[in-house]
This record gives sequence, C-alpha cells and structure tokens, in this order.
Amino acid sequence: MIDLEFGEQQQQLQQTAREFFSEHCPLAQVRVLEESDAGYAHELWKAMAELHWVGLRYPEELGGAAGDILDQYVIQLELGRSLAPTPFLASSVIAGETVLGAGSKEQQQRLIPAMSRGELIVAPAWTEADGEYGAHAIQLTAAADPGNGYRLEGVKILVPYAHVAGQLLVAARTASGPDGVTLFLVEPDAAGVSIERLANIAGSPLFAVTLDGVAVDEEAIVGPLDGGWSALQPALARATVLQCAEIVGAGEAVLEIAVDYAREREQFGEPIGRFQAVQYLCSDIAIDLHLTSLLARQAAWRLDTGRPHAREVALAKAQASEAAQHMVRQAHEVLAGHGFMVETDLQLYTRRAKHWEFNLGDTAEQFEAAVAAL
Amino acid sequence: MDITFTPEQDAWRREVIEFLDAELPPEMAFDVEFDEDPRLWEFSHSFTAKVAERGWLGLNWPTEYGGLGRPSIDRMIMSEEFAYREAPLSGSIGWGLTAGSLLAGGTEEQKKYWLPKLGRMDLHVAEGLSEPGAGSDLASLRTSARRDGDDWVINGQKTYTTWGTHADWLLTATRTDLTASRHRGITMFLVPLDLPGVSMSPMLNLGGGRQNHTFLDDVRVPEEYMIGKEGGGWHMIMNAFYGGGIHAGHAYFERSFKEVLHHCRNTLRRGRPMIEDPLVRQQIGRLALMVEQIKLLTYESVSNANNAKPPAFGGALGVVVSKETRPHFFELCNQIVGPLCQLQGGRFAPLGGQVEAWYRHSYANHAGGTSQVKRMVLATRGLGLPR
Repeated sequence: MIDLEFGEQQQQLQQTAREFFSEHCPLAQVRVLEESDAGYAHELWKAMAELHWVGLRYPEELGGAAGDILDQYVIQLELGRSLAPTPFLASSVIAGETVLGAGSKEQQQRLIPAMSRGELIVAPAWTEADGEYGAHAIQLTAAADPGNGYRLEGVKILVPYAHVAGQLLVAARTASGPDGVTLFLVEPDAAGVSIERLANIAGSPLFAVTLDGVAVDEEAIVGPLDGGWSALQPALARATVLQCAEIVGAGEAVLEIAVDYAREREQFGEPIGRFQAVQYLCSDIAIDLHLTSLLARQAAWRLDTGRPHAREVALAKAQASEAAQHMVRQAHEVLAGHGFMVETDLQLYTRRAKHWEFNLGDTAEQFEAAVAAL
Repeated sequence: MDITFTPEQDAWRREVIEFLDAELPPEMAFDVEFDEDPRLWEFSHSFTAKVAERGWLGLNWPTEYGGLGRPSIDRMIMSEEFAYREAPLSGSIGWGLTAGSLLAGGTEEQKKYWLPKLGRMDLHVAEGLSEPGAGSDLASLRTSARRDGDDWVINGQKTYTTWGTHADWLLTATRTDLTASRHRGITMFLVPLDLPGVSMSPMLNLGGGRQNHTFLDDVRVPEEYMIGKEGGGWHMIMNAFYGGGIHAGHAYFERSFKEVLHHCRNTLRRGRPMIEDPLVRQQIGRLALMVEQIKLLTYESVSNANNAKPPAFGGALGVVVSKETRPHFFELCNQIVGPLCQLQGGRFAPLGGQVEAWYRHSYANHAGGTSQVKRMVLATRGLGLPR
C-alpha cells in the first residue's frame, strides 16, 4: 500500500504542537530567548515534558510516552516552524536514545526518568576542532588509568546545551581505528571540565567543552568499550531525519513569508508576485520544501518500520541541507532589502538554516554516506 | 504512512516481469520516440499487440469499455517495469492520450465505440495537437473545422506530429467556434491519415526520431469521428494530460543511474575504480538523489489517488521537477563519463554510446508544455500568486 500521508495520530499531535508553540513561544519570544544566557526557556521545556513530548519515544516504565519516530517527526517539524529553542534533538534524541539503546539498566534508570520529566539535560559531545564528521575525527583521548577508570583529555566543540546539562555524553578515543571510540558520561562540574560559549550565526547555545585530565570510573562508559561510534549511530540516524523535519517546518514558514510578501509588496504599479522572476523564486522554495518533505517522510517511515535506511536517511539529509540554504536564499531575493533588516522575521530562519545545514552532516557528507550504502 | 506493495501488487509485478522476460529480447529494447529503424518498429508493433492481447493497454479503464478495471497503482507498476526495460511500447497517443481524452469527456457512445479498439491496438494514432503558432499556448490553435452537411471539413497545419508515419489516425484539436472564448471553441477529432487532403513532411529531431509537419487541406471527416462534444476539447486535453494514468518516469532515470554506477565500478581511472574517486562519489550521490526525488513524486501521485487527495501545487510541481531534473541528470552523466561521452558507439564509447544518446534525448523535454509554463501554474494555482 503506498500512502505517504501521516496517520490520524500524527496529524492530531501536529495540530496540538502547532497551537502549543504558537501560543507559548511566538517569534517575539524566540528573539528574547536568543539574547538570554540560558538560550532556551526552561518553563517551556517543563511544559513539553508535561505533555510527554520530552520523553516521547522512551518506554512508559521509564516515564516516557512510548511513541515512535513519526510522532517525534511532527514535533520536530513544529519546532522548526516556530523556532522554539529546546534541547529536544540533542538531549532527548541523541543522548537519551543512545543511553536507551546502549546504556546499562542502571544508567537508564538513573537518567531516563529525570530526562523524561524535563529535569535532566544530557549534552552529546562528539565534534572536535577540525569540524570533521565520523569516527576518524574522534581524537579526544580516554586513557585507562589501571584501577582508577579513565582520564579524558581533549576538546569538544559545537556541544549543544552544555551550560545547562546535568551530564555530558562524550565520545572519546580508547583505541585506534574506527572501532576505537568509547562513550563516557561526564559530570560537567567534575574537576578539569571547562565550558566556553561559542558565538555562532544561529544564536544557538553551542559550547566548547575542554576536558583536562578529567577522571571517570568504568561505570561511566555507555555501551561497549571500543564500540561507542556504533552505539551512537541509531540515535544519530533518527536525529538526522528529525533535523530534516525541522528544516521542513522552517521551510513551510519561509515559503509563507515569501509568498505573503510577493502578494502584498507592489513595485512598478503591481504586486511583485505577478513578475515571473519572483514567481520562479517562490516556486523554487516550494519545490525544495516539497522534495525535502517527501524524502524525510520516507526515511522516517523506514526507521519506524525497522527497514534498512542508511541510503534513504543520507539522501534525505543531503536534500534537506541544500534546501535549507536555498530556501532562505530565495526568500531573501523576494524580500530584498526588507529581508536584510533584523526586524524582519525571515532572518531568524536564515541564521538557523546554516546550523541545520551542517548539523549531523552536510550535503557532501551525506552523498558520501549514501554512495557507501549503495 | 506506508511505502510497501501488497502481495497482490508484488504478484502483478512478477507477472509483468515474466511477460517481459518472455517477449522482449534485450537487443530489441529501444526508445520508440527516437528510433526509426524499420526492423525495430516492426518488432514494436508486434510486441505492443501482445501487450494489447492481455488487455494491459486498458489496464485501468472501466471494464464496460474493454478495460480491466484495475487500480492506478497497477498501471504504475507496469509502467515501472516497462520503462526499466526500455520496452518499445508504441501507440501511447492512442491508448494514452486519445483514451485519456475520451475518458475525460467522451460521450458514452464514443467511449463504447473507440476505447475497446484503442485497447486492442486496432488503430495506431499520431499526435496532432501542436501548431506552428500554438505550442505551450495550445489554446491559441487556429486549425478550423466547419460543419458541412453531416461532415466536418478541417483546414490547417499541425506540427511536431510524433509517429505520423507509424500511424493511421491523427488525434487533432480544431477550432469549431470562432465566436466562443478561446478555451470554449475547441473540438477534437480522430482523422484517418489516408483521407484526401492530408499530407505530411518530415521534421527530423535531435533525438534521432522523425516528427512531421501535417497539412490538413479541406479534409472531410464524418461526424462520428468527433471525440467528445463540440466545443468540449479543451477540458479533455487538460484532463487527458493530467489524468491519463500514472507514468513511472523514475524508472527511466533509475535504469540510467544503474548503468552509470556499473560503469564507475568497472572502469579504472588513474589506476583505481572510478567509484573510489571522491568527486565521482559526489556526482553519483547527486544522481541517486534525483532518482529518489522523481520516484517519491510518482509514489505521491499513487498515494494521492488512493486518498482521493488533489495533487499539491495545482498538479504542476511534479511536472516541473521531472522536466528540470532531466537535463541536469544527463549533463551529470556526461561529466562523470568525461570526454568519451561524445562518442556515438564504437569500441571507445562508454556504455555503448548510450550516454551520448541519453544526452540528446534530454532535449525532448517539452511535450505537454514547457517547465516554464508549469512553473507559472505552480506559482499561480499552486501558491496563489497573482496572474
């Protein structure tokens, strides 16, 4: 049966989420949060937890809602549309689902219920100073200190929400080769941990985390020793698809902004939307948006149904990364000087689009991943 | 959400594949739009007759008109397998466009008379809609049909007549009412090509096929060759293009993609297989993305048909993407293959010269209207921008 539509359940959830974010996090609030130290609204995060969205995919016995990736998809789509800043992708999905997939029972029971309640944020840390993506780029070392666990030494960058995290989930090198990566839970206030905010185009709460001989015990290891990169992959695949969903949600908003402006703005005595050059710009956005949505939905469905998905996920993000950039660029051509002004909402999307384009792999990374999966 | 085929649909696909295995030797696969080799065309006619015998040309027409009454997804599956094998199915102007027009606006009597004949391939129909002055703006057509007793007398000139010399009928659109608005005064006819007053001259196309100028000078046709109602032509043409079954265009791209990928895996460049070259991998990734885009647009049409949902963006988005992908896709195939992409066969030509042929064929990209016109539909009907 070929049916690309979301079911009733997701459609209702999406409607609820749209109303929730437009009421609790309008764009005026997004602007305020971007300037704040926290970078997000803890009350909003708690309210999302009460709606069971924070632990959406976690099992019920750990405080979750036992939902699936299609549910997460529509939430993330509405996060993209509203631009509400939350640690959903970083903490709930990447860190939380890695702990669920690879962590010990003890780790799961200690972390997941608190994460579900919105009380604990876990910040995943894998990118390093060269910005490279992949196991080979993990150079931060975890040296075994016989009888005393490990000592972590190195720097992670682009770590989201490190400033409010109760735990860091750090990918470290414990042996050479692609399998030589191990995941560790690190207390952010442990001796030797320092955090530095990274100014960035999206105004996102992104940090450099320096680990200067930080001591952790063996219980801090999540998943198998020397099997950390593999342990991270299922959650990263889901997060990659959800990043596409966020771009789709934002793209819907960007298309509306461009089309509304083209209908209202008059030059040469008529609405600029009557000019074919402007119609082309708007149709470019619609095409990018629609194709991204199709590819992302296919990838989400393959993940949801447990089918092989490496190629489909990679192609979806290859498409989404390019679309993110192209959609905002074309909208700026429609809005012209008006779009360049900070008071115009379009720029809020434009700046975040650059983060999304590279987050979890840009088009080139994803083409490589897709071809590797052929 | 679901992107699977039912066991019945899988069984149908197997039936189609078994038919093609039995009836289509690989060396007889060719693109009926771009080849005039009489030996291949002879095969095409007998191959198409075998498809017709099974009732597959009218696969999803209602049974009372000689169809099999099957759902549109079965047509899509058949189209996927036929396109994937480059099956030389001829006569789509008859069982596709003419039948689509009839289903959209034919009278009950006409449907009962013509559709079974079209489904059996009793008539081979050529396309005679475009005129020298009416291409994407088809509604400006000027060929006239004037009533004379029980007959109609047609005068005018048609162009780009595809399959003119392989057909015995012409599907044409004429102006029957000069006073009506330009969309209202159009009437369609099927014209036997052997009638006095019909003549053709060849137009050879870049793809290697023949199209034609068609001249209609005082061609007298009986009333029963009218298709649809007097003045109802425009509605039928629009709905025949959009409603005449689901075409699986992605299979065409997928086939080329697999051949290029095979070439890259089996060809050494700078001492290693091309597929290990990072630049080639990026290009292959881009081709794979385009295949996936077109495939999902096709599947979305199926999904929309199942859900009785109107196509998004005025039905124009899929057409725009497909038309704009084609040149880009085959340019990229050229770039991957490199300078040898110019060779038209012979021992040095990669993929037996197919890359060169695909590239030329990619310029045949304007049937049913240019992508620019479809972009205007997308922007106005789809996005609500002012006309």
